[in-house]
Amino acid sequence: MTALTQSVPDMEALIKDGSNKSALTCLHCPSRILNASVGTYVEKEFSLPAMTKLKSQTDTENHVLKDFWKVSDMFHFENVGFSHTADGVKYLTCADCEMGPIGWHDLQTKENFVALCRVKNS
Amino acid sequence: MAKKTYDLLFKLLLIGDSGVGKTSILFRFSDDAFTSTFISTIGIDFKIKTVELRGKKIKLQIWDTAGQERFHTITTSYYRGAMGIMLVYDVTDERSFENIVKWLRNIDEHANEDVEKMILGNKCDIDGKRAVNKDRGEAIAREYGVPFLETSAKANTNIDKAFNDLATAILDKYAGKEPGDAPDRVMVDPRRGDTSRRSCC
Ligand SMILES: Nc1nc2c(ncn2[C@@H]2O[C@H](COP(=O)(O)OP(=O)(O)O)[C@@H](O)[C@H]2O)c(=O)[nH]1
Ligand SMILES: [Mg+2]
Ligand SMILES: [Zn+2]
Repeated sequence: MTALTQSVPDMEALIKDGSNKSALTCLHCPSRILNASVGTYVEKEFSLPAMTKLKSQTDTENHVLKDFWKVSDMFHFENVGFSHTADGVKYLTCADCEMGPIGWHDLQTKENFVALCRVKNS
Repeated sequence: MAKKTYDLLFKLLLIGDSGVGKTSILFRFSDDAFTSTFISTIGIDFKIKTVELRGKKIKLQIWDTAGQERFHTITTSYYRGAMGIMLVYDVTDERSFENIVKWLRNIDEHANEDVEKMILGNKCDIDGKRAVNKDRGEAIAREYGVPFLETSAKANTNIDKAFNDLATAILDKYAGKEPGDAPDRVMVDPRRGDTSRRSCC
């Protein structure tokens, strides 16, 4: 398993009063995931499986990500999918094209985290 | 801030024989070129979708089975809190159609008695191998007083309409009960779902 660290360029421009300045949409389709200012910016290290992999790859690559939008209640999302439980969490996906993981759901705290680099922030 | 982002929350379920297309109805017909391999391996449990009906913003939480229908072990825990149920059969599979009556009985036994239902004849894109005519779907729906649609998850026919119609029926029922004053927020317990029903297989 490989771990790559990814960061988001020009992050300050995406945050307003600690929240997402713009609505979040899917990188692959027009589906709206979260409305503006519903998420809270948090810095937190978490390793998410890669969204895509090459046919030749056998195991899933993991990416260590740091920048997330925290959504305290799952019903604050506009459109989102929840995977079955794996690795002790539920992964979040686009509700329309199912691309993901775009983040994860913590089964204990019920909080949800969307990776800034896996959604469109504007 | 925890500001209110919606007016109502409806929990919906998909029920029917194994193989009729329930998972495909909920999760866009999987085009392998597009779907994330990682996600398609672990599978999706439920979705949250937002629709606007009669000027109200409604969150739909839509659940798929985890395959328990294969063992006829759908019980009260899966139905708990459900406000709407999609009863699905496959138009190319006579048996799945006959079993609709069984599923209706199962719902009567285990679900809330005022749950809204809808019957879907799925895979209507398949012409050659059709086993159940549309008339028969309509007839059984009339007999049980349940709305009916033929759908195709593959061709994306009537899928959105089905969910919108079911949600509208639920909305109208609440509006009917308390004229002009639908409940502010119909809560379901989001914690269910990661408990026992997933321990099969
Ligand atoms: N042609 C066609 N095939 C479908 C349709 N919906 C599902 N299928 C196929 O039917 C099979 C069973 O579907 P699935 O969603 O797993 O059924 P479930 O067991 O009810 O969840 C799969 O091979 C699907 O590709 C449809 O609308 N049209
Ligand atoms: Mg299924
Ligand atoms: Zn998408």
